[in-house]
Amino acid sequence: MKIAIFPPNSLILADLVERRGHEPLVLQREIRKRVSTPEIDSPPLNMTEEDPIKGLKYAAIEVPSGVRGRMALLGPLIDEADAAIIMEDAPFGFGCVGCARTNELCMFNLRKKNIPVLELKYPTNREETQEVVNKINVFLDSLEENNG
Amino acid sequence: MSPLENPKVTRMIILGPSANISQSELVRKLHMMELPLTIKSTCYGAAVSGDEEIVKKAIEDVRALDPYNIFSKDRGFPPGDPRRCRAKRGGAREGFHQLEREFELLDAVSNALEHPQKVSLKKAKKVSPEEFKEIAEEN
Repeated sequence: MKIAIFPPNSLILADLVERRGHEPLVLQREIRKRVSTPEIDSPPLNMTEEDPIKGLKYAAIEVPSGVRGRMALLGPLIDEADAAIIMEDAPFGFGCVGCARTNELCMFNLRKKNIPVLELKYPTNREETQEVVNKINVFLDSLEENNG
Repeated sequence: MSPLENPKVTRMIILGPSANISQSELVRKLHMMELPLTIKSTCYGAAVSGDEEIVKKAIEDVRALDPYNIFSKDRGFPPGDPRRCRAKRGGAREGFHQLEREFELLDAVSNALEHPQKVSLKKAKKVSPEEFKEIAEEN
């Protein structure tokens, strides 16, 4: 199954999803499409004027263009998702995932999509990390059972 | 053939703090596989780039060396890309700080993977006022 993860570039989440035989929908996949096209010539991302227009599918016109531009990357991942794992309060909310409003919009879209969602808090110590890992594994196994 | 028709994928291989192999050993093992891959030794482990199927096979084989301590994630930019590579830009690569933060938890993650425990995903129910009253009266 295709699992959306949030933060969408998390190593731990992507790795755990892959270990259980599912496909993590990671942000890097969308980035790769943009940076490996032949016409790319300027850093940091090959964002074009088309992207905020694509983002209109996910955010209204009044929403800042930055959010719409980011949604052009993140929106297709949310559309593809069969299930989602959301880890809130991750300390690395910067770079491509640094926009708080985009983060909120993504989480909102995942929650209202009517798919199985596991919500967790970013662990801060060893015990919490172990609990988070066990919960993710139980959640991913339960998806397999539900799908036969 | 354009990159879109034959997409090259890049994966980062990250060694956990308790991994029983070093970066140089990891890179040597990758070279010994004799797969058509671009391999770059890095501070966290290695970055490999090539056709999707071949990269996947390399990751599977490498993971088998130490299943609980070798982690992997996708990377958008190819290894040594001047738009991202530290050698050209100066300063830490974007994504490094995130990796650094997640690295702190990797030891606990590998421990949890090695020793799985049963947990429930159900949220604890709220205690009803009647039940609470009963408990209060008991004491």
